[in-house]
Amino acid sequence: MRPDPIEFDDEIRGHMALSVKERIERGEDPDAARLAALREFGNVTLMRESMRAIWQPRWLGVAEASWQDLRVAMRSLRHAKGLAATVIVTLALGIGANAAIFSVVRQVLLRPLVNRDEARLVYIRQRALGIGAENATFSVSEIRDLRSSVSTFSAFGDFSTIDFTLAGFGEPRTVRAGVVGGSFFEVMGLRPVLGRLIEPSDDGPDAAGVAVLTHRFWSSSLESDPSVVGRTIRLGSRSARVIGVLEPAVPYPEETEIIANVVTSPHHLDATMETSRTHRMTELFGRLAPGATLEAARDELAAAHAAMMLRHPGAYPASAKIDLAVTPLRDQITAPARTILLMLLAAAGVVFAIAASNVANLILARSVRRERELAVRAALGASPAALRRTLLAESALLCGAGAVLGVALARPLVSVVGRYAARFSVRALDVTVDASLLWVGAALAMAAAVLLAYIPRLPASTASAPASRGWAVPHGLRLTPGTNRRLRAFAVTQIALSFVLLAGAGAILAALVALQTASTGYNLRQVLAVDVPLPIEAFGQQSIAFFEEATARVERLPGVERVAVGNVVPWRDAGNAGPGFRFTVEGRGSATDDPHARLRNVGPGFFAAVGVPIIAGRDFSDDDRRGNELVVIVSRSIAEQMFPDGDALDRRLWWTDPYFGKPQPRRIVGIAADADDERIVPGPALTIYHPFRQMPFAGRLFVHASGDPHALVTPVTQIIRGMSAEQPVERAETLADVRADVLAPERLKAFVFSGFAGVALLIAVVGIAGVLAFSVSARTREFGVRLAVGSAPRQLLARVLSEGTGIAAIGIAAGAAGGYALAWIAARSVDNLPLPGVLPVLGAATLLLAAAIIASLLPAARASRVDVVQALRSE
Amino acid sequence: MAKPPDDRRLELLQGTLDMLILRTLQWGSQHGHGIGQAIQAQSDDLLRVETGSLYPALHRLVKRGWLKAEWGVSEANQKAKYYQLTAAGKAQLVREQDRWSQLVDAISRVMNPVQANKE
Repeated sequence: MRPDPIEFDDEIRGHMALSVKERIERGEDPDAARLAALREFGNVTLMRESMRAIWQPRWLGVAEASWQDLRVAMRSLRHAKGLAATVIVTLALGIGANAAIFSVVRQVLLRPLVNRDEARLVYIRQRALGIGAENATFSVSEIRDLRSSVSTFSAFGDFSTIDFTLAGFGEPRTVRAGVVGGSFFEVMGLRPVLGRLIEPSDDGPDAAGVAVLTHRFWSSSLESDPSVVGRTIRLGSRSARVIGVLEPAVPYPEETEIIANVVTSPHHLDATMETSRTHRMTELFGRLAPGATLEAARDELAAAHAAMMLRHPGAYPASAKIDLAVTPLRDQITAPARTILLMLLAAAGVVFAIAASNVANLILARSVRRERELAVRAALGASPAALRRTLLAESALLCGAGAVLGVALARPLVSVVGRYAARFSVRALDVTVDASLLWVGAALAMAAAVLLAYIPRLPASTASAPASRGWAVPHGLRLTPGTNRRLRAFAVTQIALSFVLLAGAGAILAALVALQTASTGYNLRQVLAVDVPLPIEAFGQQSIAFFEEATARVERLPGVERVAVGNVVPWRDAGNAGPGFRFTVEGRGSATDDPHARLRNVGPGFFAAVGVPIIAGRDFSDDDRRGNELVVIVSRSIAEQMFPDGDALDRRLWWTDPYFGKPQPRRIVGIAADADDERIVPGPALTIYHPFRQMPFAGRLFVHASGDPHALVTPVTQIIRGMSAEQPVERAETLADVRADVLAPERLKAFVFSGFAGVALLIAVVGIAGVLAFSVSARTREFGVRLAVGSAPRQLLARVLSEGTGIAAIGIAAGAAGGYALAWIAARSVDNLPLPGVLPVLGAATLLLAAAIIASLLPAARASRVDVVQALRSE
Repeated sequence: MAKPPDDRRLELLQGTLDMLILRTLQWGSQHGHGIGQAIQAQSDDLLRVETGSLYPALHRLVKRGWLKAEWGVSEANQKAKYYQLTAAGKAQLVREQDRWSQLVDAISRVMNPVQANKE
């Protein structure tokens, strides 16, 4: 249907031949006839074009016009390389940060879990907020009760964590393992990639020991070796056969390397586990029955739980405020990362807004400079639409380049942000670069392009008919009040947004500084903590003998000042010992509202080794052993709270938690300073220390070194391996290393937000300097006149400086108002939003004002050095 | 044929070229040059069709389906494209002719109220 371009030529040629023939027949000279025919025909190329245009689909015409516009834009930008580079880099920063963070947010918060029918998967948690336990877990009896009394769940799965010494894959090591019932994997909706998973037939004390490997462990530590299935491994004293490998899935509640059936853990089979209502160590998952809603399940579970608590009042003291939290698994997994990710996204959004308004400023200034060019083009007949299209093409080109660079920047950023987010949610571990990066980048670039194209005013829209003005187009720079206002508005916006970011980053930094300078009560630098986990069966006389010999041998090493055994490495083992146990002291009696204290087992010399002073009484000695009088050392907070008269020494206390069986009074022989080994923000610590020889559950060595503690890692390991070749010796770090580790997320957070704030500050400074420089150069004449009528150059300098400070001051005020308004709105949807204190706010304001003054210095100096004669002649 | 003085020449009214082409082709097929000549001759040299508008117009009409084109050999012994009305083109011609007479009638009522009223 569509004719070939050659046909157009044939047709034109045919027409010419006829035309010439006719003229010759009329008697014209052949050559003259040909010329006349050509003249009469007109522009052949033009006609060929218009014939082709008829046959072209519409979009092709548009595309051609756009291509033309882009080429013009490219040429015009080549004359403004500096501007183009600034705009592209600024936009790239804004787009890159947003694309990367959005990509992570999408994958962590919005992506469904791999679990089959994940929306019906529910995580059930027992809380005891009265004693500060967000997760008190469940005992087997509790699960049995709940299981038998609800119908809104089709099945429950249980999961508990336990440390095993694993032998069979290289060196023996301690691994974190999950112990699950046969329904767990069915409830979780997970499949094996190899072999099979644990099934109901693997339940019970008579089943064979079986273990499933997690995908991460299998692929990273075992190099995805398929032959491991069927192999027999040793877990502590028992053996288990590897039956399969789990598909990659979010590990929850805890990242483990293997998941085994109940029979592999002697602890799970003993009577305490089976019958004690308060022996809680199991996490509970449920799958909603078909047709059951989350609300119905919540109500039914709460009712069943309340009934259960009524039946066993002893196990549920009212003061502990025990209740159930029922959440969809996905929400549960993503909850900790939600706040931090949304904060990041907001920060990135602010950076983009700052970048866009800075770019808008640059483009606005440029458009004033080229007002003349636009006026000339309008005079030559360019329609407003055509001019707008040119501007759009330029901004599209800039923003496109910015987006490409931004997406390139975003790719490595995704893994950085992902690693950071992984500290809050395990989901972020497998964040990858995906297509959302591209479309977020494209969308932002598009938004910026349209914004930028509509900022400059067109000459045609200001003057009624540009052609009628003839050549009355401005020769110099002419800054209309409107343009000036807009420039300033953008600068104020940048300052305001930067202020919000700076204040936020300041608050986060202040919190970090407070954390890092907080006195922990420990000697952080000189103390090396080493995990020496003994198998559970060894606890007792065997472990006492083992650690006695180990400490004696390590103490003889050169460079070792003191060695002691303990059971909790500060912060690193936080939470492992649960929310603490109930106790009471003589003369107080016992009730369900007994206070909770942490239980620690330490050897003689522990306090001296870790640097916690004993403020009254004595340390444990070798005589505090089984068979002798039962003694304890308490923390200062316990002494002060329980014995307000200051007579704690030699009084007695005992545990009242049913876990301990019959109460055994213990005499307080010492009071140690408070040392909070659970929370990273140190607070009062209610801790009761037992002598290790009377309660021999411990597996940590604390070595106080005179020199570099790290130099002791190898000799200590050798000594212990020399005593028992199969004994794991792990995670040797100084307490300072441990503290740095637990503070790493805070530090990273401060780093990320400071980075954002720094970029924002930089852009804002460039913005102020740009606006003032432009305003000064546009007002050369004004300054010339001022100088001519007697203004001192210093007055001009002060004038420009005060303009810059004025912009900054208005921006800061707007930022403070807007920031608090935003925080107020955000506080409704985001929990624990940190609000900056006075210091960070003042700091941010001072920093911005200082930056504004520095940014205005250069333009101000130029204004004061205007050459009067030149300035007056310039127009 | 003497060239008419320029001031006698009329500007082709916007939108009428298509109608003139359809009308010219009413009696049979013709090539572009012939169509231009025919319009000029029929209007007593008052209307002159620029080749720059004629050929794009022809192609537009073909694209709309009102004309069809065939290659043939012209009097100049050259390849030439002959245009011919299609059925749709004939219908379109009738429509345009109607609209045209209505337009002429309406305009003359405005311009010559007395004459028009007499009719």
